[in-house]
Amino acid sequence: MTSLDQLKVTFFDECSEALQQIEAGLTDIRQGHSSDDTINAVFRAVHSVKGGAGIFGFEALVEFAHVFETVLDGVRRGSLTATPETIDVMLAASDVLSDLVQMSRSGEFITPDFGGENRAALEQIIRSDQTGGGAAGGENSPAPAEFEGLDFKPVPVDGFEFTQVPVDDDSATAGADMMRSYTITFRPNADMLKKANEPLYIIRELRKLGELDLIAETDSLPSLAVLEPDRPYIGWTGTLQTSASRAQIDEIFEFVVGDCDLEIVETTPASAVADTVDVDRMAAPVAPTASAATPPPPPKVETAAPPVRSNEASEPAGANRSPVAKPAATTTRIELERIDRVVNMVGELVIAQAMLGQIVQDLPEGTSGRLSQILDEVIHHTRELKDSVMSMRAQPVGAVFQRMPRLVRELATKTGKKVRLEMTGETTEVDRSIIERLGDPLTHIIRNSVDHGIEAPADRLAAGKGEEGTVRLAAEHRGGRIVIEVIDDGAGINSERVLKKAREKGLASPDAALSEDEINNLIMLPGFSTAETISDISGRGVGMDVVRSNIQEIGGRISLKSERGRGMTIQLALPLTLAVMDGMVIKVGRETYVMPLSAIVECLRPARSDINNLVGTCGMLKLRGDLVPLANLSDLLDISSTAADSSESVVIIVDAGEGSRFGLVVDELCGHQQVVIKSIEESYGSVPGIAAATILGNGRVAFILDIEKLSELTVTAPAGVSRQRNAA
Amino acid sequence: MPNAVALKVLVVDDQNSVRQMTRMTLEQIGIRYIHEAENGVRAMEIASLQPLDLIISDFNMPEMDGLGLLRAVRGHPAVRKVPFILLTGRGDRELVVKAAQAGVNNYLVKPFTAAILREKVEQVMGKLS
Repeated sequence: MTSLDQLKVTFFDECSEALQQIEAGLTDIRQGHSSDDTINAVFRAVHSVKGGAGIFGFEALVEFAHVFETVLDGVRRGSLTATPETIDVMLAASDVLSDLVQMSRSGEFITPDFGGENRAALEQIIRSDQTGGGAAGGENSPAPAEFEGLDFKPVPVDGFEFTQVPVDDDSATAGADMMRSYTITFRPNADMLKKANEPLYIIRELRKLGELDLIAETDSLPSLAVLEPDRPYIGWTGTLQTSASRAQIDEIFEFVVGDCDLEIVETTPASAVADTVDVDRMAAPVAPTASAATPPPPPKVETAAPPVRSNEASEPAGANRSPVAKPAATTTRIELERIDRVVNMVGELVIAQAMLGQIVQDLPEGTSGRLSQILDEVIHHTRELKDSVMSMRAQPVGAVFQRMPRLVRELATKTGKKVRLEMTGETTEVDRSIIERLGDPLTHIIRNSVDHGIEAPADRLAAGKGEEGTVRLAAEHRGGRIVIEVIDDGAGINSERVLKKAREKGLASPDAALSEDEINNLIMLPGFSTAETISDISGRGVGMDVVRSNIQEIGGRISLKSERGRGMTIQLALPLTLAVMDGMVIKVGRETYVMPLSAIVECLRPARSDINNLVGTCGMLKLRGDLVPLANLSDLLDISSTAADSSESVVIIVDAGEGSRFGLVVDELCGHQQVVIKSIEESYGSVPGIAAATILGNGRVAFILDIEKLSELTVTAPAGVSRQRNAA
Repeated sequence: MPNAVALKVLVVDDQNSVRQMTRMTLEQIGIRYIHEAENGVRAMEIASLQPLDLIISDFNMPEMDGLGLLRAVRGHPAVRKVPFILLTGRGDRELVVKAAQAGVNNYLVKPFTAAILREKVEQVMGKLS
């Protein structure tokens, strides 16, 4: 069967459906229970039959259908009344039509006067049409492809003559953003991930600019055995439809430009080339002036009023623009409380699911196969649910960051200093409640940096620095927390002055021997301010103490480090905002803990030979050419371990931030699961090494470890206890 | 002078047979990338996601007719400038007038041959190579 034959079959199938619709519709109308839509549907059905017949060359069918259609058109327009007689004629017509379809299908010869009687009746009805319906006029002879007397000029899309008249002149879309499309090809280099550039963020950022359609290129993806976890293998090619500028797109790739193969090509279709006249009030639309039948409404204004045919169901009543589904992203407003409730529910769901998992695990072998399969699915869905819900609350930190450049510029001008602000990690996402409370403290910190930290240009030059000071604002996820740093290359804290002032104010005892760090941290005590003049910028007394309490209120920590003459770093560590997280359950002795999975680099059970015992440490692990310091969790938390020696222990290599890694020695790994984070700070305050608590599947409480704090403790914790064990 | 092979065309018609015929005819004049939609809503979905060089749409469709689609296209920032050819039935002058006001680029009367299709397309896009 040729494709044409196949199409004919399709057409005849369509005809069967159409014929059914015609008959059903006409019957409804005859019986008086029809709507406006019915007559339109019947009209369309006949029209479709006619159209298709024309394409396949069934002339007799076309001719008849045309007359039939004309009557229907008159009825739906209201220029013909649907009297019972008329309807009967139409019902008869649908029979004739059906016969004609059948005969066309089977290919039998159709006599020229077939259905002539009915046709005559139809024509008579047409003649009675009051408005002398335009469609009927002289259309029984094959009309030319062009309409005579119609001054229609095809509208070419050449750049210069772009004369399309847009529908809605005063809408937001007019005179606005021209949508362009870009084809982007991206292939990361081997070290891209090592340079802390995450390709995923690029995709997210691009999505924010418009519609992004990607195809991943996985040809470089090796087998799992040789796959290196810190190398990116997947590139992609995609098209982006956006009204954003090329500069905006380039900005997204700013940080990775050196570490990848990147190609961005504008591929806006030829038709959109006209950047010249954006057509607001274009002259001469191609409305023909000659046609007398319908005087055209003024060309510059869109036909706002419903058209003459009030029955046309397909025209949206009076609307300038059809209410079509706009595929562009839509947003909606939701009360935060509602989201919070959902977050809580998801949390409870996770707990329940963990308990379910426990029960399934404890079932006797063989009974639980199907059950654990389904449970896995439930876990998978819950995880996705959690992610979706979390993402509702999460916002990129950039929302707060974006106020800073302007702040810095204004401050610099006011103080006569030259300061540059660098920002990284703007896409790091943080719970919105944190975002809201971050603005003030951050502003204050940056003000301090510019006002007190960065020196005047002359002073900087005298100190051998560049005239322009730099303040760096960075955000990243680290060890299960969000860390925000403000780093300046100014003069740092003048610790002598601070100590003097603190003593004057009674904030430090005269004979206390304080370390430099401790002195520097004095500035966060209430009432402290070393500004000689009360500049209107930093104010008086509203100092770092307020910042600190602000941060603590949102459950975070603030610390600062200063180097005299070199600059200052202020670090904010904000709490795990995700109420649910992926954790690794571990055991030390009889105690169970949970570690954030995000902090874990890898787990292993080292051979004794891999561990070097160095004096003053718990040992160093040889790991692929590096030496990683070990720390016993039992020591850090001061509990007793049950492991006889280190060869039975599990070492978890963790990332403690700032590039430092260490190996945490524990007794057992109990698998990973999602845990709900329950804060304990309200009841217990801040406990070193513990971030929060959770309820495990078995109903018991486990503490969630704070890896960063633990790494600090490794410096101070006694290494003695377990080492004795090791030596034995 | 657009290259026919590179053009991306969207054909909108609720009748499958007509869509296929239109497709075949387009292929006869050298066009290869042909999207199909059976109604206006689906057409808008495609139009806003795929780069298109031309839309050819029937007028007579349920829910959203060709004129409605034309207006929707002309109103959507991403696709408003895509050339639009409307398929009309014989004798439908009123429709052509309305379409012209709504910003149609050209019209085609069903049934049409490949030659006529080419002519109409070239009137809008320039000579096809």
